[in-house]
Amino acid sequence: MRRLLILTALLFASLAAVAATGHDRDLDSRGIFQVIAKAPAKSRDQKNPYEGQTNAVAAGEKLFRQHCAECHGEDALGRGRAANLRASGVQNATPGELAWFLRNGNLVHGMPPWAGIPEQRRWQIIAYVKSLH
Amino acid sequence: MLGVNPIPRSVCPATASSRLRFLSPFLLCVAAAAIWLPSRAAAQETPYFVAYSHHLEEPGNLEIETYSIYGTQTGGGDFIAPWMELEYGVTAWWTTEFYIDSQHTFGDGSVFTGTRWENRFRPLMREHWINPVLYVEFENITDADKTLKEVVGTDTQFDAADPNSEANRSHAHEIETKLILSSDYKGWNFSENFIGEKNLGHEPWEFGYALGVSRPLRLEATPRPCNFCRENMILGAEMYGGLGTVKAFSLSGTSHYVAPIAAWQLPNGVTFSISPGFGLNENSHRFLLRWGMAYEIGGFGRKVRSLLR
Repeated sequence: MRRLLILTALLFASLAAVAATGHDRDLDSRGIFQVIAKAPAKSRDQKNPYEGQTNAVAAGEKLFRQHCAECHGEDALGRGRAANLRASGVQNATPGELAWFLRNGNLVHGMPPWAGIPEQRRWQIIAYVKSLH
Repeated sequence: MLGVNPIPRSVCPATASSRLRFLSPFLLCVAAAAIWLPSRAAAQETPYFVAYSHHLEEPGNLEIETYSIYGTQTGGGDFIAPWMELEYGVTAWWTTEFYIDSQHTFGDGSVFTGTRWENRFRPLMREHWINPVLYVEFENITDADKTLKEVVGTDTQFDAADPNSEANRSHAHEIETKLILSSDYKGWNFSENFIGEKNLGHEPWEFGYALGVSRPLRLEATPRPCNFCRENMILGAEMYGGLGTVKAFSLSGTSHYVAPIAAWQLPNGVTFSISPGFGLNENSHRFLLRWGMAYEIGGFGRKVRSLLR
């Protein structure tokens, strides 16, 4: 019985912790765009090997729905703390800058790094995001 | 499965059919999950059972995981130890996880063996060739715990041969720390973990290691949604074992294992994984089989917050 009470208390404590992390940071899109612009020169000039390939855009859309839409929205317009990916700050960025940002994320402001998915898939996502302009 | 009363030896003979009974709920879960679960966030975690990579849970996501291990035992009954994990991404650099452990020893009985609470932190904010993660876990488990989530000190298979009624009386409060180093290169993940564990009683520090390597079968994604395709399959292997204690740091006198891994990551956020493990010396369980299922709920934190507002 005591064990059950402890487990119940832990569950409520966890829910409270989840609620407490609610307003992590007042992140606006400009903050993200400034980070994207900090990509090193050698990354900035990288070309997307899938540029202009319709299959890559379709694959990127599939990956976007799996990994990105939860935060950025199915329409990529962003919601809450997540940036609007149709905004000029993203659309004007080079594919290399986006690749650098996607790999590194922005841990302080809540964007996880996506180095865990293969580089080819990250380029496919970028091909899709760039097709949204 | 989580009952605390030992089942009499005669009620639970170690037969093949009784072992299959433990697999049937898992197989039902597999079928239900693959068919019924709605589309959710897909994870980017590596498929390891013992080793950790530097990839943390995405912030606000909750992953519900259920795993089991079957092990052969010299001098005692073979066992199945199921455990459940609740993993939550608090921030992009901090993941917290809660475990509930149990086990069933054939010819002995079933026991609840304790809980664990772990936290993983990324100290560096960018990706590097080698990415460190700091791991701290508090364990409140009994000596009957057979989940083998890590091997440390002079852990051997004979530690697990004691009857549940004796082993489950001995509670251990332990702090486990890990230095996780991990790299991604051309679709491969390489992970190295160095483990230090301290019983908060009078035991010395114990050390262990875990190594992992994995890669998806296909690096590019195909344009069409698919379940049974190579891009969703990950193969890998891990190796783990003890390194003795602070007084006797050594590879000998402890156990070591090697285990290939296969994982199937469905686009709806469900991951199935399986890993046969093989003991590398006489101190090791000769054969281990791990399997499990994980389901990732994207935006869980946001949903909870909206309920509490």
